[in-house]
Amino acid sequence: MSGDRKPPGVTFDDALNHKLAKAGWSRREFIARVGAFGAYAALTQLLVACASPAASPTAAPATPSPTPAGTTTAEATPEPTAEPTAVPEPEGELYVYNWDGYIGEETVAKFEDQYGIKVTYDLFPDEATQIGKLQSDGKGGGYDVSYPASTWMPAFIADGTVRALDHSLIPNLANLSPQWQNPGYDPGNQYSVPNAWWTTGYAWDPRRIDGDLTSWDTLWDPALDNRMAMLDDVRECFAAAAFRLGLSPNTTDLGELDQILASLAEQKPLLRLYTQDDIGDMVGGTVDLSHCWSGDWVQMTYEKARIRYVIPEEGSIKGNDVMVVLSGAPHPIAAHLWINFNLDAQISAENTNWIGYMGPNEAALPMIDDYIRDDPRLNPPAEVLAELVELAYLAPADLAKYTDRWTQLRAG
Amino acid sequence: MPGVLWLAALFVAPLVIIAVISLGSLDDAGHLVLGQPTLDNYARALQPAFLPAFAKSLYYATTTTVVSLAIGYPVAYWISRYGGRRKIALLVLVMLPFWTSYLIRSYAWMIILRDNGVVNSALIETGLLADPIQMLNTDFSVILGMVYGFLPFAILPLFVSIDRLDQRLVQAGRDLYASGRGAFLHVTLPLTMPGIVAASLLVFIPALGDWVTPDLLGGADTTTIAKIVQVIFTSGRDWPYGSALGFMLMGVTIVGTLAGLRSLRRELIG
Repeated sequence: MSGDRKPPGVTFDDALNHKLAKAGWSRREFIARVGAFGAYAALTQLLVACASPAASPTAAPATPSPTPAGTTTAEATPEPTAEPTAVPEPEGELYVYNWDGYIGEETVAKFEDQYGIKVTYDLFPDEATQIGKLQSDGKGGGYDVSYPASTWMPAFIADGTVRALDHSLIPNLANLSPQWQNPGYDPGNQYSVPNAWWTTGYAWDPRRIDGDLTSWDTLWDPALDNRMAMLDDVRECFAAAAFRLGLSPNTTDLGELDQILASLAEQKPLLRLYTQDDIGDMVGGTVDLSHCWSGDWVQMTYEKARIRYVIPEEGSIKGNDVMVVLSGAPHPIAAHLWINFNLDAQISAENTNWIGYMGPNEAALPMIDDYIRDDPRLNPPAEVLAELVELAYLAPADLAKYTDRWTQLRAG
Repeated sequence: MPGVLWLAALFVAPLVIIAVISLGSLDDAGHLVLGQPTLDNYARALQPAFLPAFAKSLYYATTTTVVSLAIGYPVAYWISRYGGRRKIALLVLVMLPFWTSYLIRSYAWMIILRDNGVVNSALIETGLLADPIQMLNTDFSVILGMVYGFLPFAILPLFVSIDRLDQRLVQAGRDLYASGRGAFLHVTLPLTMPGIVAASLLVFIPALGDWVTPDLLGGADTTTIAKIVQVIFTSGRDWPYGSALGFMLMGVTIVGTLAGLRSLRRELIG
């Protein structure tokens, strides 16, 4: 299975394009750091300015709104109306807010061509920026569509950041495979449509570490001292330790969280780093084993085909993100068209083939590159998938329990 | 007057905003509540567990400042005294790295320093080394990255101060039988002290708040206190708590800097 990841034909070109486009770096983290340094540079210049008042300081980190004017059009209720027209006239524009490199190469252009709708496609550097923007005015920051992690849905539904979908405008919902028709975070997909999903596990270089690794215990193995990386992600690290200890990755029990913290503290001296660039660290040989997401592993194999990946047997995390229409969307009809378009079998397959993450689209399966579709680590069988756990949304008081322990671990 | 406006708009106003947020709290949906000011966040931020990270920050910032001065002073001196007509060109060269993103330069350092990187490969190829030595993800790589990043901030004020020095004063010292070393220690060095102080501040303060370099070039054990603040803001989504910790650190920095400056001035003047 882990042998040749590049079957002949078009997939090799895809792989090469990926490689060139991403230069081996994790897309999200790279962008995140560009963003982070922007703020950092601004602060540095501010200091210089303080030292010599003549210099012109850079403005404080107030994020400029990339959104064009967006007064909410008086729109009909999100629920299906009694109007006889099947498809209302869509607006001429659409504002989309997504990760960079997280959609098929030609998807936006094809949508514009098909519907004559002009798409303003804005990118966010990291999840904190995204959520901050979407919640800034309580109704989506002026955007029509965004792609939050599914764990946000209960909160977004409760506080009205997203609007209920009009399923009559999204006939392609029928393309979703059965297990995505009724997800726990949003029963019946009333407010969201699943977009891409992944598993968490770890990747290793079989030339440096022998054997078929299967357990989270490997990440605590003193024999691998200074050769391993964990993801720089509080929830994923806590989940890894929780599975190892037989606890729930969503626990809010203080005693259990302390057990998890103790386990992570025991592991920390064995780690070379908490990585923000699992792809670069594995491909560059900085570590021989890294905690990682399945999609990142696919990108590692574009550079080093031999790298292997496992979903540990004690259990692991399954995650997905969703497409939502925001409650303040200025162009709700166009937004529904966008979601429907991305659920099209062909478009959905093109998205997956470009970004390396599986989608929930059953109709797209025949068109997905077989090295993605046929790999049980990227596309696990239903019985494995059923065992995987989704990270639950944590209310602020519970999240604080995690943050306190994570900062203690990292500062210590 | 425009200076005061700048300060008010770009320095005081953000500080006031941070101070107000630091007294706030979060409701059950994670929204900011400013109605009932509380000092809880400050109590929470006063954690002995954070001391090692704070010590790391101080260690990196101090080492970076000392090394930057040690490298920056001779460079600035040389440019000023021997740069001649090429002074401007040399200063532009000092600034040149700024034309490329710090991020990209840090990635370059990763490629240079990692186990199978440029340095290790060269040493192994030439037979000087049998096995690669670990340079990346250590204190060494963090300090190297910080010195590299902040060195221009040291060179520029040092250059200004050395360049403004009236060379006739040094000559007078020599006329009064000072050795070259003596003239440097008793004339040049004290007269360029304002440049040294400015350079130290310009390196030390941003270095103390740096989390990007330790994040990129550091390892599991190079967490700075600024990284803790960043974690609280992003994955913790707790702006009030992060603001409180940030505000406390700023207070410590300002008090420490002022105390340092005052003792320095006393030493220089009286």
